[in-house]
Amino acid sequence: MDAREGIAKDADNAFSIGEPGAADTKALNLAGVFLAVSDLLWIPQAGFLAWTLGTVLSGVATQERTLLASDMTPQLLLAAAAVVMIAIARVTLVRFAQTQSLTAARSIQSQARSRLLRATTTRSPSDSFPVAGAFAAHVVDQVDLLGPYYRNFIPQLMRLRLVPLAIVAMTAWYSWLAALILLVSGPLIPLFMALIGSRAKAASASQQEELTRLSGVLLDRIRGLETLKLFGALEGTKADIRDAGERFRTGTMKVLKIAFLSSTVLELFSALGIAFSAVYIGFSLLGDLNVGAWGTPLGFSQGLFILLLAPEFFAPLRAFSTAYHDRAAGIAAMQKLSLLLAEIETEGTVSASDLVKRSAAKTFTASNETLANPCVSFNEVSLEVSGRPIFSRFSLHVGVGETVLISGASGSGKTSLLDLILGYRKPDGGSVQINEVDANIAAGELRQHVMWLGQAPTLFHGSVKSNLLKGLPDPTSVSEADIWNALRLAGAENLVRRLPQGLATQLGEDGFGLSVGEIRRVALARAAMRSNSTILIADEPTAGLDPETARDVIGGLTALTRDRTALIATHDPAVLKLAGRRVDLDRVVEAGLEPVS
Amino acid sequence: MSPIWQVAKSQFRHDRLHFCLGIIVAILPAAAGLLLLGVSGWFITAAALAGLSGAFLNIFAPSAIIRALAIIRTAGRYGERVLTHDATFRFLSDLRNRLFATSAEKVSEGRRTGLVLNRLTADVAALDTVYLRLVVPISLAVTIAVFLLFIWWTVSASVFLTGLSFMAFWAFLARSVVSRSDRQMARRADAASEAMRLRTADLAAGRRDLAVYGGLDKAVDGILEAERRLQDSENWRERRAAGFAALSGFVGQTFLAAMLLVCIWNVADGTLGVPAAVGLVLAVIALPELVSAVLLGLTNLPRSELAARRTDLTAHQNNKAKTGAGSNNDQPVPADQSECVLSFASVSFTYPGAIDPVLERFSFDVKPGEIVALSGRSGRGKSTIASLAARLRSVDTGQILLNGRNIEAYRATELSDTVTVLGQRPYFFNDTIADNLRVANPSASEQDLWSALERSVLVDRIASDPDGLNCVLGEGGLGLSGGELRRLALARAFLTRPSLFILDEMTEGLDQVTASEVLERFFKFRGTASVLMIAHKQREIESADRVVNLDNMSDS
Repeated sequence: MDAREGIAKDADNAFSIGEPGAADTKALNLAGVFLAVSDLLWIPQAGFLAWTLGTVLSGVATQERTLLASDMTPQLLLAAAAVVMIAIARVTLVRFAQTQSLTAARSIQSQARSRLLRATTTRSPSDSFPVAGAFAAHVVDQVDLLGPYYRNFIPQLMRLRLVPLAIVAMTAWYSWLAALILLVSGPLIPLFMALIGSRAKAASASQQEELTRLSGVLLDRIRGLETLKLFGALEGTKADIRDAGERFRTGTMKVLKIAFLSSTVLELFSALGIAFSAVYIGFSLLGDLNVGAWGTPLGFSQGLFILLLAPEFFAPLRAFSTAYHDRAAGIAAMQKLSLLLAEIETEGTVSASDLVKRSAAKTFTASNETLANPCVSFNEVSLEVSGRPIFSRFSLHVGVGETVLISGASGSGKTSLLDLILGYRKPDGGSVQINEVDANIAAGELRQHVMWLGQAPTLFHGSVKSNLLKGLPDPTSVSEADIWNALRLAGAENLVRRLPQGLATQLGEDGFGLSVGEIRRVALARAAMRSNSTILIADEPTAGLDPETARDVIGGLTALTRDRTALIATHDPAVLKLAGRRVDLDRVVEAGLEPVS
Repeated sequence: MSPIWQVAKSQFRHDRLHFCLGIIVAILPAAAGLLLLGVSGWFITAAALAGLSGAFLNIFAPSAIIRALAIIRTAGRYGERVLTHDATFRFLSDLRNRLFATSAEKVSEGRRTGLVLNRLTADVAALDTVYLRLVVPISLAVTIAVFLLFIWWTVSASVFLTGLSFMAFWAFLARSVVSRSDRQMARRADAASEAMRLRTADLAAGRRDLAVYGGLDKAVDGILEAERRLQDSENWRERRAAGFAALSGFVGQTFLAAMLLVCIWNVADGTLGVPAAVGLVLAVIALPELVSAVLLGLTNLPRSELAARRTDLTAHQNNKAKTGAGSNNDQPVPADQSECVLSFASVSFTYPGAIDPVLERFSFDVKPGEIVALSGRSGRGKSTIASLAARLRSVDTGQILLNGRNIEAYRATELSDTVTVLGQRPYFFNDTIADNLRVANPSASEQDLWSALERSVLVDRIASDPDGLNCVLGEGGLGLSGGELRRLALARAFLTRPSLFILDEMTEGLDQVTASEVLERFFKFRGTASVLMIAHKQREIESADRVVNLDNMSDS
C-alpha cells in the first residue's frame, strides 16, 4: 500500500488543497522505506551484541575466565567493528530519508501556498475578503502545519507497516511466546490510538480556530489602539486579550493532554511489553518456565537478542504516536485551508467565467488599443449592492478627453460607479463599455494603465519611492525628476521633503507617520506617475486636505485631466469647479435618467 | 546577559514551584527508562547464570522492580509533559498580556501593526522552547550524566573513562551546534518569514490598490519569493541539524560497541560480573534519546534567541519612555491659565527622526464653553496639537494644562472622561456596531446608541440593515461608505460627556447637506463643553467663536 492510498484513507475525505502530487508521494514512500531499513539493521547489531555477550557468559559459566581475554579479543573486535559499520549505514539511511521527506513536504507547502494566493488574484477587490490578520495567519501558519504532517507522519506509516512485523517474525523464530507478548501488546495500541485520535482531531481543529481568532483579535486591537486609547477603553481591551489568550492556552493544553495521553498509552504498552519479555526470558533461563520456545529451551544469547529487539518493536509505534499530533494539526489545517479556498473562490460580484473571458480577451484588447482614446458609456445599468438598489437603468456617456465630475450624497453610489468601470463590479442589468468593449473585458488592460485614486488609498510597506514606482511597467526608466514632478502635481512635494529620509523613508502597511491627507497625496502622486495614461479615475481626491493643499491638488488635477478622459467623484465644491460636466447621482437615482447640468 | 537566560529567569520568577517541579518530575521517567533496560539485562543474565549453575536467585524482587520501572516511566512521562507544558503556557500567556500592555503605551510611535502582531504571537510562541526544549532537557541530561558517571566510577576506571570520553564528545557536539553562521541564517529566515506575513497582510488589506498598482499577481509573486528565501535558509538549518543528529546517533552506537568491549574486558579481569556487564551495556542504548532532545533544543536556539531579544527590547524601551514622561510634572501653574479648559504653555515638539520641530514654543488656550477652530496648512501641526492634547504624545518642552492641571498628572480614565478626541483616522473593530460604539462608553444603553446614531444622521442606514446594531463590521468597516463611517465615528462622540471635545476634521468626506446637519446637531449636543476644531472648511471655521491660525503663528 503506498503512502498516497494511506493519506487518502487516513484523511477520510479529499481536500481541495494541500494534497501531495505524484512525485512527492513517491519521495515520502521512499523516505519511509529508508527509515524502515535503518530500523531493521538494528537486528544484526543486536545479534552481534547478544552472541558476543552469550559467548562471554558461557565462558564464565564453564570457568574458563582466564582463557577468555586472549581467545576472544579478535572476535570481540570484529563484533564491535561490525556494530560500528552497520551504525554508519543506518545513519546514512536516516539522513537520506530526512532529506527526501523534507524536500517533499516543502514542495507540498509551496504548492498549497501558491494555490491559495493565486485564488485571491481572481476575486474582485470590492467583494468581501477574510480579515487581513486571519488571512496572513492562514497563509503563513496553517500552511506551515502541513510540513510536519507530511515530513514526520506520512513516512512513519510505511515504517509502521514494515518494522514491527519483521521484529515479531524474528522474535518468533526463537520464541513464539515472546512474539505473542509483542503481538498482544502491539495491536491494542492502534485501537486506543483510534479512540484518542478522533478526539484529538476535534480538539486540534478547535485549537487552530482559537489561534486564528487570537491573532485576529490581536491585530484588530493593535490597529485600533489609538481609538481605544482616546476613549480610555484600553483596560477593557486588555481583558479581551487576556480572555482570548486564556482560551487559547486552555485549548492548547486540551489538545496536548490528548496527545500526551495517546503517547502515554503507547509508552505503557511498550514499557510493559519490554518488562514482560524480560520477566519471561528470565524465568525461562532459570528453567522455571519451559514453554514458548520451539522444543529446545531458550538460550541466553537468544533471550538477550529477543530482549534487545523488543524496544525496536515499539519504536515505530512511538514515533507514530509522536507524529500523531502533527497529523491531527495537519489535517485540521487542510480542512481550514479548504474552507478558506472555498470562501475565496465563491461566486463574487465578478464571476469566474467573466475572469476567464477577461484573460482570453487580453490579446484582443491589446490589438484594438482600447485605451488609446477611451470613452466610457453606461447603458441602462442596474446595480444592487448587498441588497440595496444603487442604480436602476442608469445611463451616462463620457466622451474621449471629457472630464465628468460625479457628485451625490454619501452612499449614493459614487464609488460603485467607478468600480463598474474598473470591473470590480458587474452590472445586474445593462452594460458598461469602454470604447465599445465590455468593461469586464477591458478591465485587465485598464487597471494596468489607469491613473486611479481610491477613496481610502493604501500605501504598502516599503519606501516612498518604491510605492510611487509600483504599477509602472518599467520603473528603471523613471528619472528622479519624473518622481518630483508627480509629487508636485499631487501637492506632495513639500510633504516628502519634510520626511526624515525623503523618498527613501520607509512606510508601514498603515502608511505610518503620514496623516490621511498625506497618504492621499502620495497616492495621487503614485497615480500621476502613470504619465502615459489616457484615463483618470479619482474618488474624493481632496478629502482630508486643507484648502491650500486642496488648491494645489486641484491645480494638479487640472493638469492631469487635460487631454485625458476623466471621472472624478467628489462633493468638494472646489473640485466641482473644475472644467467639466457635472453629474449629480442624487437626481439620477430618482429620475433614472441621465441628467444634464 | 543572554536573552535566553533572561527568559528562563523570567519564567523561573513567574512560578518557581512549577519550574523546579517540572525538572524534577522529568528526571523520573528518563531514569526509569534507563534502568528498565539495564535491570532487565542484568536480570536475564543473572537468571541464565543461575539456571546453568542451579544457584538460587531471588527472582521476585527484580521482576517487581522491572514492572515498577515500566509504570514509573509511563506515568512520569505523562505527568512531566503536562506539568512542564502547563507551566510554560501560563508563563507565555502572562508574557503576551504584558507585551500587549507595553505596545499599548507606545501607540502613536507608528510601528507596523503586522510587526507588533508578530511580537505577540510568533515571538511569544517561539519562547516555549526556552524551558521545554532547553532548560528541561539540559537539566535532565546533566543529572543523568552525573548519575551514570558516578555508577561507572564505582565499577572500574576503564568503564568510567570510556563513559567520560563519550559524554565529553557529546558535550562538545552540543557546544558546537550553535554557531555564528547559524544565528545569521536564523535572522535571514526570520526576515523572510516576516516579509511573507507582511506582504500577505498587504495583499488582503490593500487589494483595491494592488489591483491597479503593480497587480495582484505580482504581489503574489513577491510573497512566494519570500517563501523561497525562507525555505532556503530553513533547508540549511535543517540539514545542519540532521547532520548533528546523525553524528550524535553514530556516537551513540559507537559508544555501545565500545562499552561492550570494555565491559567484556572487565569481565575477563574479574572486576565485573557478567550480569552487571550486560546491564551496563544495555543502559547505554537508552542514552542517545536524551542527547538528541538536547541537540534538537540547541539547533532551535538561534530562533528562540531572536524572539527573546525582540520581546525583551520592547519591554526595555517602555521603561525608558515612562521615566521620560514624568519629569516635568511639578511646574507652577500661572493663575490665568488655571481658568482655561485647555492651555498650551510654550510647547515644543519634534517628531522622532525629524530634523525640524513641528511646534516651537507654541502657546494657546481654550476657555470654558468656547469653540476654537485651529486652521492652517498641512504640516503646521494641527493634528500634532490634537494628539498632544489627547496625550498620545508627550511634549519635548513646555506644558499642557487641562482644567488647570498638568496633563501628565491625569490618570488614563480621568483623561478620557475629560476630553473626547475624534481622530482623523477613526478605527472600527471587526465587531458589531453596538460594540464599536460602546468603545466610547461601555455602559451605554441600546437607547443611548440609537440616539447617538440619530444625532449623527445614521439611524436610517443602520435600521435598514436586518441585523441593526448587531451588524458586524468587516475589515476597516466594509459595508458602510466612507462618509457613513465618518458619521459612525461621530456617533461615538455623542456617547461621551467631556468638558472638551477635540475634533480632527469631523465633517471630512461628508457632503455639504449632511455636513451642516451633523455640525448643527453636534453644537446642540455639546452643551457647555468647549470645542477645539481642527478645520479647514469655511463653514466649520465660521461656526467657531475664535480661530487660531497656525500659519500666522509660525510667521510671527
